[in-house]
Amino acid sequence: MKKIHIVGLIIIAVAIGFIITLASDYSQYETFTSARGETKKDFQVVGYLVKDKEMFYDPQHDPNYFTFYMKDKDSVQCKVILYSPKPQDFDRTEQIVVTGRMKGDDFEAKSVLMKCPSKYKQDQLVVSQPKAES
Amino acid sequence: MDIKFEGEHLLAGQIGQISVYSAFSFSIIASIAFFLSAFTRDKETALSWKQTGRIAFLIHAAAVLSIIVSLYIIIQNHWFEYYYAWSHSNKALPAKYLLSCFWEGQEGSFLLWMFWNAVLGAILIFQKDEKQSTVLGVFSVVQIFLASMLLGVYIFGYKIGSTPFSLLRNEMQNAPIFQRADYLSFIQDGNGLNPLLQNYWMVIHPPILFLGFASTLIPFSFAMSGLLTKNFGGWTKDVLPWSLFSGAVLGTGIMMGGAWAYESLTFGGYWAWDPVENASLVPWLILIGGIHTNLVFNKTGRSLRTTYIFYLLTFILVLYSTFLTRSGILGETSVHAFTDLGMSGQLVVYMASLSLPAIALLGIYWNKIPSVKKDEQVLSREFWIFIGSLVFLISAIQITFTTSIPVWNKLFGTNWAPPSDAISHYNSFQIPVAIVVLLLAASSLYLKFKKSDLKMFWKRIGVIAAVSVPVAVGIEFFGKFSRVDLHILLFATAFGVMANAYYLFTVLRGNMRVSGPAVAHFGFALMLLGVLISSAKKQTISFNSRGIDFGESFTAEQNRANMLLYRNEPVKMQDYIVTYVGDSAAPPNYYYKVNYEVFDSLTGKVKERFTLLPNAQINPKMGLIANPDTRHYFSKDLYTHVTSVPDKTKKKEDQAELKFTDHTVKIGDTVYTSNSYIRVEHLDRVTTSDKVNISGSDLAVEAVLAIKTLDGKSYEARPLYYIHDYRGFYFDDVIKELGLTLRLNNILPENQSIVLSVAETKPEKDFIVLTAIVFPYINLLWLGTVITIIGFVISIVRIWQKKRATAANQ
Repeated sequence: MKKIHIVGLIIIAVAIGFIITLASDYSQYETFTSARGETKKDFQVVGYLVKDKEMFYDPQHDPNYFTFYMKDKDSVQCKVILYSPKPQDFDRTEQIVVTGRMKGDDFEAKSVLMKCPSKYKQDQLVVSQPKAES
Repeated sequence: MDIKFEGEHLLAGQIGQISVYSAFSFSIIASIAFFLSAFTRDKETALSWKQTGRIAFLIHAAAVLSIIVSLYIIIQNHWFEYYYAWSHSNKALPAKYLLSCFWEGQEGSFLLWMFWNAVLGAILIFQKDEKQSTVLGVFSVVQIFLASMLLGVYIFGYKIGSTPFSLLRNEMQNAPIFQRADYLSFIQDGNGLNPLLQNYWMVIHPPILFLGFASTLIPFSFAMSGLLTKNFGGWTKDVLPWSLFSGAVLGTGIMMGGAWAYESLTFGGYWAWDPVENASLVPWLILIGGIHTNLVFNKTGRSLRTTYIFYLLTFILVLYSTFLTRSGILGETSVHAFTDLGMSGQLVVYMASLSLPAIALLGIYWNKIPSVKKDEQVLSREFWIFIGSLVFLISAIQITFTTSIPVWNKLFGTNWAPPSDAISHYNSFQIPVAIVVLLLAASSLYLKFKKSDLKMFWKRIGVIAAVSVPVAVGIEFFGKFSRVDLHILLFATAFGVMANAYYLFTVLRGNMRVSGPAVAHFGFALMLLGVLISSAKKQTISFNSRGIDFGESFTAEQNRANMLLYRNEPVKMQDYIVTYVGDSAAPPNYYYKVNYEVFDSLTGKVKERFTLLPNAQINPKMGLIANPDTRHYFSKDLYTHVTSVPDKTKKKEDQAELKFTDHTVKIGDTVYTSNSYIRVEHLDRVTTSDKVNISGSDLAVEAVLAIKTLDGKSYEARPLYYIHDYRGFYFDDVIKELGLTLRLNNILPENQSIVLSVAETKPEKDFIVLTAIVFPYINLLWLGTVITIIGFVISIVRIWQKKRATAANQ
């Protein structure tokens, strides 16, 4: 075996070891129910915005406090708190992925990822697009 | 359908569609001809096939150009009968962004890719090269697949490709409007371009990035030609300038994406380890590894197999990243919006048809590819370049592995979520990688190929390392890093900067012609130094001081990076006194004028004063689209953007809740409120009003009121009273800033007075919510990037000159 192969194998072994230690960063998508049990770790919950419940953001009261209600895949609803302004285009959101952890009955989100249908299916907008006769 | 539609411009689309078919057919003809030429023994027949291939390819290139021109004409003329123009542009779009419409849609980006391939292929056609047939054969095969993405035809029920020339009425057949022959007169405007793409970076970044992607096909097809013709090592010298070109362009494209994100997106940085960013970074890492092993082979005859792996893998990874970003599979993990045109199947076929043969050929000929049996010297340049390339490969594997989580989920039916803190996940692996790469890139230049003077090597490296330690410590004097890996990275960048600078000036004695590698490595080290300082020492200065709950400590609390600024009320942010002074509208954009002042702590005088205009586009389709504004200093950037503004469209408070006080006053009288006094100037008989339609028989009167606040500001209000059918109506005027609602309640002609009703509410103040971040020494990042690219260019020029010199000697 050549020296270079030995060095190469050592590097690969170290790298694999390292990647394995990073595996703890991966997690499963959770639900609010399963996140409730563990408050030390961050979870990611996929779900939908509950549109008929109140979204609260009053920047004059606190510009870094936004709450909304979200329904996870098991249809469990939970209030989500985000310590930042209401994200752009939030009202249009359908699917949401929140990252954070439970605090009491609420979910404290570090980040919110949104999927807005308008950017995907523009065809949906066409109904209102051709202008009314004038 | 027998409706004869009016006003459509069908010719451009027909020409475009015919061009798509021609581009597709001629790429097939070209690939057949080129491969026949490559595998025909008879020289004359081979040459004539080659000629056929060349002509077919050039016709193909012309067809591609014709597609682009047709599409451009359609977009430029706002012919909204075409779906592409309707969905990606509108009339309000400034001419400079018309090009961006091209790459908003998938079809346009495939078109761009195909265009660059055609350009590069055409350049290769005119170069004298005996490998041309196989190289261009591979090119033509790639073009077949790309052209098929634009076909938009149904074969056995499967939709192949998606054409940019389809008509709106065909895309939406169910809409009743298309039953009318004159439907076009109702479609006044298009859907418009995503406001995020309305930015000058988005005009230049995609073409550069796609040129980068397209150019990776050159090393791939050269390597393929080596395998197909079994002339395994015969292509490595000719490919090197192209590989360098590709590395430079792709690197520029990636960094331009970072600059775009930094300048116009609001995630507060230039790099976020987003899947889409990763997808373009990974091929670049592998390409850089390939360039280095290619160099090793040219100098020592070693590492040819590795070079094959790297060059083939680069293009395969470009294909893979196309699949990732275009198939919609990243949906849940990326902030980038991608449409799935239902072409994922086609993308998989494209990927498989090119990568499987490449992998198979490499496997078949693996043992025939020449290699050197003897061990290399441990302290030689080739040994450490190989190790460095291996590190690049491992880095790429780690990034790809995590980025591909949605793919693993699809393949294995799992439900894994990507790391919840992506940035720290990638950083914890990539920081050690960066350290190793920096140390290797700096020290391996001091080693020679094959045999080196080791005494000299250790002496120089020792001295530079000894100097780097105090330099790193000195930098930390201004701001300490909190983690061990960052200390080491800082040392490695300092070492990299100094070792390469020293090499340039003392070893090469400033001989610029051969300085390419040292310049590129120097720039790379500088760039990483900029990355390290600007991200590790990045500081949010807009911590909320008005808010509540400050005592409690949350983990999510770190999000509290936004500050409320009332109009004309100064707020302190670190050294800055910040005042929001008002907005100005240039529809669809609103510019928020924010003044910054820095006072000298001793004299109290203003040291510095400037205004930033972060803007927001209130987009009817997407809501508030904020655009940052940044103050650039030599040593730092102050980056700001608006995160929220009052919703001005919101309905006013319920009228019933207002408590009016009536005042019977004459002209010239003054009424006092809690914060102002109102003087009745005069009454104005009006015939038109923006508040109500006034017909000829009506009597309409406005009271002109001059309002002065206690702090000296003036306003005017004109409440309206009018009589229609012998009944009196009033329309209030509201001054939001003062919380005043003014009503002309009645006019009493008998005693020449009026009844003025005044209601006071809490003043509705104008405000913005702002976030401000300081990025120290971010200029090192941009400077380092530019220097790295210059290094590439120097190397390309050097190789080119050498080639011309040898050609002249023959």
